[in-house]
Amino acid sequence: MKLSRRHVLAGLASLASVAPGRARAFGDAGAFHPRVVTSGGAKLDPERSSAPARWAYELVRRTSAPGRLSSASVAFDQPAFAAEPFAIWAGASALGPLSGPERRGLDRFLKMGGVLVVDDLAPASGAFGESARREVRRVLPELAPVELDPTHVVFKSYYIVDRPVGRVQGPARIEALIRGKYAQVFLLRHDLLGALARSRGGGFSLDVDPGGVAQREQAIRLAVNIAMYVLCSDYKDDQVHAPWLMRRRARRRP
Amino acid sequence: MSARSWAFSDDLSSLGSVAALLFALLSIVLLLFELRRRERLGPIIAATGALATVALTLAVLRPVRVTERGSLVGPRVIVLVDQSRRLELPAEDGRSRRVRAEAAVAAVRDRYGDARLGVLGFGEGPPQAVPDSGFGARRSAESDLAGALGALAESTGERPRAVVVVSDGRLSRPAPGSDDAALRHAVGGLGVPLHTVRLADAGPKDASVRSVRAAGAAVAHQPMSLTIEVGCAGGLECGDIPVAVREHRQGVEPAVLASGTARVEDGTATLELRITLERAGARVVEVSIDAPAGDQVPDNDRRFVTFSVARERVRLLHVAGRPTYDVRTLRQWLKSDESVDLVAFFILRGMTDDTMTDDDSELALIPFPVEELFTEHLPSFDAIVLQDIDAVAYKLDRHLPALARYVEAGGGLIMVGGPSSFTGGNYAGTALERVLPVELDEKVEPHDAAEFSPRFTEIGRSAPVLSGLFELLGEDLPTMTGSNTLGKPRGASFVLMEHPRRKVGASPMPVLALGESGDGRSIALGVDGSYRLAWSELAAGVSGRAFGALWDGLLGWLMRDPRFEVARAEVVGQCVSGEDTTLRLHRLPGASGDVEVSVERLGKGSPKVIEKKLPSPPIGPVDVPVGKLEPGGYVARVKVGQSPPARLDFACEKGGEAFADSRPDGPRLERISAVTGGTSVRAGQEATLPQPSATRIAAERHVTPIVPPWVWTVLAALCLGAHWVARRRGGLT
Repeated sequence: MKLSRRHVLAGLASLASVAPGRARAFGDAGAFHPRVVTSGGAKLDPERSSAPARWAYELVRRTSAPGRLSSASVAFDQPAFAAEPFAIWAGASALGPLSGPERRGLDRFLKMGGVLVVDDLAPASGAFGESARREVRRVLPELAPVELDPTHVVFKSYYIVDRPVGRVQGPARIEALIRGKYAQVFLLRHDLLGALARSRGGGFSLDVDPGGVAQREQAIRLAVNIAMYVLCSDYKDDQVHAPWLMRRRARRRP
Repeated sequence: MSARSWAFSDDLSSLGSVAALLFALLSIVLLLFELRRRERLGPIIAATGALATVALTLAVLRPVRVTERGSLVGPRVIVLVDQSRRLELPAEDGRSRRVRAEAAVAAVRDRYGDARLGVLGFGEGPPQAVPDSGFGARRSAESDLAGALGALAESTGERPRAVVVVSDGRLSRPAPGSDDAALRHAVGGLGVPLHTVRLADAGPKDASVRSVRAAGAAVAHQPMSLTIEVGCAGGLECGDIPVAVREHRQGVEPAVLASGTARVEDGTATLELRITLERAGARVVEVSIDAPAGDQVPDNDRRFVTFSVARERVRLLHVAGRPTYDVRTLRQWLKSDESVDLVAFFILRGMTDDTMTDDDSELALIPFPVEELFTEHLPSFDAIVLQDIDAVAYKLDRHLPALARYVEAGGGLIMVGGPSSFTGGNYAGTALERVLPVELDEKVEPHDAAEFSPRFTEIGRSAPVLSGLFELLGEDLPTMTGSNTLGKPRGASFVLMEHPRRKVGASPMPVLALGESGDGRSIALGVDGSYRLAWSELAAGVSGRAFGALWDGLLGWLMRDPRFEVARAEVVGQCVSGEDTTLRLHRLPGASGDVEVSVERLGKGSPKVIEKKLPSPPIGPVDVPVGKLEPGGYVARVKVGQSPPARLDFACEKGGEAFADSRPDGPRLERISAVTGGTSVRAGQEATLPQPSATRIAAERHVTPIVPPWVWTVLAALCLGAHWVARRRGGLT
C-alpha cells in the first residue's frame, strides 16, 4: 500500500491524540495548536478528546498551515497560557466561577491579542455557554457579545462559509466579543468539537444533527476557517482580496 | 590747522536756546503791537524795549567764543569685492573675472591713495575682511550686496564717505528686475554714494542649467514636477537641447528618471519633467543637458540636487510561505502601525494540500500574483519581508535578480526564518544572497531543530536598533525552537544576535544580522519564533511589548529612521568641487567609542574617497575634513564604536548655483550707482572714480565766554531800567 501524506498525518494525529507531548521540529514553533482550557471545571469528555488534534490535522491536511497534532490542557492562571495566542474553552455543564488569578490570566491573554473559542458542547441545555459568558463578562465587562455579520473575515479566511454549523446546526450567526478591529472571543453554540472528534477506530465519534456528510464537512470548514483566522487574522479583508471574493460569492448565489 | 567760531553757553540745551530766542522775538512783536498808534516817545520806547530784550536774551544765552585745532584726514572708503565663485568664470577677454577683480582692487587702491581704504568681501551675510588682493580663502554661492550694505549701515564706528563695489553685477540681492525705488531701499541705507566697477560686460558662450525647482516637497512614490530652466548666452547657437534627469545610487549606474528637450527661445527655455523618487531620505539627482558645440563653460551643464525625500507611509510587502503564529504576530503588529501601508500575500494552500473540494468557488483563495508583484509593483514598495517562503516552489527564483537590484537601488529587505527561508528556501547561491547580510552555504543542513535562546553580541547591546528590546528584556531572550543555518556576515554587515552553540568557522553563528547593499539595507533573522517576544512566559512579563520593540527597531533601521541611527551627519555649508569639504557629525546621546568615517562616490564600482578614524573624540559635534571632492553624488558612512553605521547622501557641484548663470549684469551695477549718486565704471577705468572730500578730525577745542556772565546781567538790568523810564515818560505803565 502506498503511504500518502494524508495517511501519515492521520497516523500521527492518532498517535498524538493519545500521547500528548511537545512536538519540536524546526517550523513547529508557530504552528496552530488548539489548547483546551480547564479553568472553571471545564473538561472534554472522552468522546471529544481527539477533537483538538483532529482540528489541527484537518488544518494541516487542507492548508499550508502547520499544526501541532497533539492536544494540551492549560488553565487561565498558568503562565503557559500566555505562551500561545489560541485556546478552546469547551464543556457541557455549568462552570464554576473563575478565581482571581484565572480572571487576571484571561484578561492578560485577551489584552495581548489572544483568541479564545468558547464551544458549548451541549447547546440544548446551554448551561456551559451561559456560565462561560458570565465569566467572560466578569473579565471584560465593557464588551457585549455581537453577532458576526456573514461577511466577517472568519467566514472567508479559507473556505467561503455561508453559515456556522457544528455537531448541531445551532444558530445561524456566531456571537463574538470584539476588541478593536479583531474578534477575540468566539461564542459557539454548535458543539464544533463534537463534529471533529474521531474514535480510536478512525470513524467519527458522534453523529451530527440533523445529519449528513455536508453538515460535518461544513463544520470542519468552519474549524479550518477559525484556525486560519487565528493564524492570519484579517488577511482576507485586505483590499487585494476584495474583488476576487465578491466574484466568488456572486457565483455561488443560486 | 585751527578754526574759530562762537556758540551759546554749553550748559544750555538746544531746546532751551531756541525757546529763549523765540521768547525774545515774541516780546519785540508784542511791543511793536503795543506802540502801533502811539506818537509820544514811541521810537524811544521801542528802541529801549528792543535793547532790553536783546540784553536779557544775551544774559540767558551767554555767548562763548570757540577755538578749535585739528587736521584733515583722507576720507574713509570701503571697497566691497564680490566673493562669489562666479568670479572664476571668464570675462570677455578670456581672463577670469577674479583676475580682473584683483586688478580692479589694486587700481582702486591707487585711485584712493589718500583715502583710508578698507577692503571687504561680500557674499553671504555680513562682509568679511579679506587680504589686500581682495579675495579670502572661501568662495560663496551668493552675491548678497544688499545684505553687506545693511550690515555696514548697522555697524558702529565711522561711516564711510563712499563705497566702491567690485563685481560682475550678477547679484543675488538686490534682485534682478528691481525698480529704482526697490534698488534705493535695498542699497541706500548707508546714505553714501555707491561707485561700481564692472568686471565684465559680456559673458562666455555658454549653455547651462540655470535652475532646478521642485513643486512642493519630495515624497517617496509620488510623482513630482521639476521645472528646469535652461539658458543659452554669449552668442552660442542652441536650438533644441536634450535634458536628462538621473538619480545617483550606490553600486549601480545612475537611473534615468526623466528626459526631454528644451527649445531655447530668446536665450532661455523652461522645461517641466515629472520624476518619481521611490526611496525616502537624501537622494542625489543630476539634471544635465547636452550642450551644443562651442560651449565654453561645461561645468554648468549639469546640476546635482539633493532632495530630502519624505515618506508619508511605509509601503511594505509581506510575503509568507505559510501562516503561522510568527506570521500572525508580525502582521498584527504591522497592521497596528498607522504609518505602515501593508500589502500581504500568504500562501494558504500548498501544492499537496487536499482542500476536499474540486470547486474553487468554495475557497476564498486567490492566485499568488508573483509576476505582478515582483515586476511592475516592486519599486513601489519601501521594504519587503520574505517570511518562510520557498523561492523555487512559488516561482520567486526567477525574480531574485530583480529583487537584488531593488535592494541595491535603495529598497529594504527582511528575510525572516523558517524551514523555507535562507538555504531551506533555495536562496543560497542566488542573486538575492549577495544582498543578504550573511552568506549562505547550500552544502550544509539548512536548519537545526535544537532549542536555544539567542544571545546579544557586543554590537547588539549598543546598537540603537535593539535598544528598545534590550531595555525591556535585558540579556534574557525567549527560547526559540530551532534556527536557520546562516553563514558568515557579509562584508560590512553587523551581527546583533548570535547562537550560543552553533558556529560558523570559529565564530558563533549569526541569528540576527544587518547589512547594507548598494543603496539598500537588508536584515536576516534566522529564527521563526520571534513571536515568542509577544507570546511566552517571558514576554507576558512585559505584556508582549518586546515583539513591537524588536520590529520597531528593525523596520525603523531598514527605513533609516534617525531614532535608530547611531549618528547624524551633515555637510558644513555646501560641498563644492575643488574646495575643502567638512562633515559635521552629531552622535546619539550615549553613543561612544571611536568614530570611523568613510566617503564613497555614488555609482558603480566607485572606490572609497576617504576613510578616517577618530579615536574616541570628545562629546559634542565632530567636524571631519574630507578634502576636495569631484562633482557627483557621495555617500558618507559614520560608525560610532561597534554600532551599524549611519549614512548621509550628498552632492558636490562644480560652481553650483554661482555658475548657473554666467552672464554678467553691468546695467544693474550702473543703476545701483545712479540711485545712490555714485559713478559706475568699467574695470580699467577706476582712475575716473570721484574722490570724496577729506574728513576733518578735531584734536583741541577751547571755549571762552565773550564777556563774563555778570556783565550780561548788569547790561540787561540797565536796559530794562531805561525802558521802564521811557515807558513812564510816554504814559505807559
